[in-house]
Amino acid sequence: MWQDVTFWLFNRHYIMNNEKFHHIILSLKDNLYRLALSIVHDKAEAEDIVQDVFLKLWSKKDEWNAINNAEAYCYRSTKNLALDRLSSRAIRKTESIDPQQEGYSFIDNETPHLHFIRQEERSIIYKCIDELSQNQRLVFQLREIEGLSYNDISNVLDISEDVVKVTLFRARRKMKELLEKYNDKRI
Amino acid sequence: MIKEYEHIRFLLNKYWNCETSLEEEKKLRDFFSGEDIPEDLQPYAPLFRYCKESRNSIRLGNDFDKKLETAIRQKEKEKQYITIRIFAPALKIAASIAIIITLGVGIYFLVNENRKPYFAETYNDPDAAFKDATYALEKLSEALRKGEEVSIKTLDELKGWNIDWTALDSADSTDVMDSVDVEATENGHLPQSHPRES
Repeated sequence: MWQDVTFWLFNRHYIMNNEKFHHIILSLKDNLYRLALSIVHDKAEAEDIVQDVFLKLWSKKDEWNAINNAEAYCYRSTKNLALDRLSSRAIRKTESIDPQQEGYSFIDNETPHLHFIRQEERSIIYKCIDELSQNQRLVFQLREIEGLSYNDISNVLDISEDVVKVTLFRARRKMKELLEKYNDKRI
Repeated sequence: MIKEYEHIRFLLNKYWNCETSLEEEKKLRDFFSGEDIPEDLQPYAPLFRYCKESRNSIRLGNDFDKKLETAIRQKEKEKQYITIRIFAPALKIAASIAIIITLGVGIYFLVNENRKPYFAETYNDPDAAFKDATYALEKLSEALRKGEEVSIKTLDELKGWNIDWTALDSADSTDVMDSVDVEATENGHLPQSHPRES
């Protein structure tokens, strides 16, 4: 009897919050996964990080109304957790990203030749990204791939908008230089 | 077409200077994932293609939601036990106090019980009790009487020994023993064996 009552209460509560959870937060899961992956370079670990972020959020569901920017909050938690994991790892991964590990699912109409070219392009980009500093990489990821506004990025990284702009400017400049260098080499 | 390229070059320039809006950046990405890209813009194509592709193809597995839900349910279950866990130290202390109190009270009553004089009615028939009591008392009185007889006998015998009691009182114990020994040997008796033989 008692168990039935708690089950009912718990379930009702669960379903109500679950809907909110699904709409607002779970829609971000791929974005958070990409951010985590860009930091730890490990698919399983990145997935684990996203799950931990969601679990943490779930346990704080009573405070959701107090969080004014849920999206930035999620990104920030993911970034912090991923950086924590990275620094707690015994041997820091410094080798360049392995394109095979990145989990690309290829579009069907890609011919093998095009596939090869795209793969080569990606490995060049990975090399370029590797040359960026940690902060530049984060800003790059959030702006170019996730498409966040400067304001959101400054919220996520806890730095001013001007610093975001300067960092992004330097990152883009570096990317431009490196891409031109690679292009010259190819020719 | 030429006009479009011009526009793209213009946007790209803005892009390098971080003056593009998010929409303009999306336009650039879309342009570079197309086929017709002029030679001078080719070097930058991989960057924009990478950004677009990453967004489209790096995704969590389909089983992620299920895994997350299981994890959440697990966590909710754990939470129900957290309250117990929080009070665990207090419970331990309370249990210790309860045990100590129980033991204390128990020992107190046990000791008290032992201290009480033991009175218990073991006879159902008062006559039997009276009979047994009389028997026991008779035994006792007989034993006392025997003891008395033996004492009188011993005293009589001691009188026959002619011990000088005043000398015994003033001398210390070794001298007494010596004088007794001497007297006893003179009379041809061993003092220790004397009462028993008689």
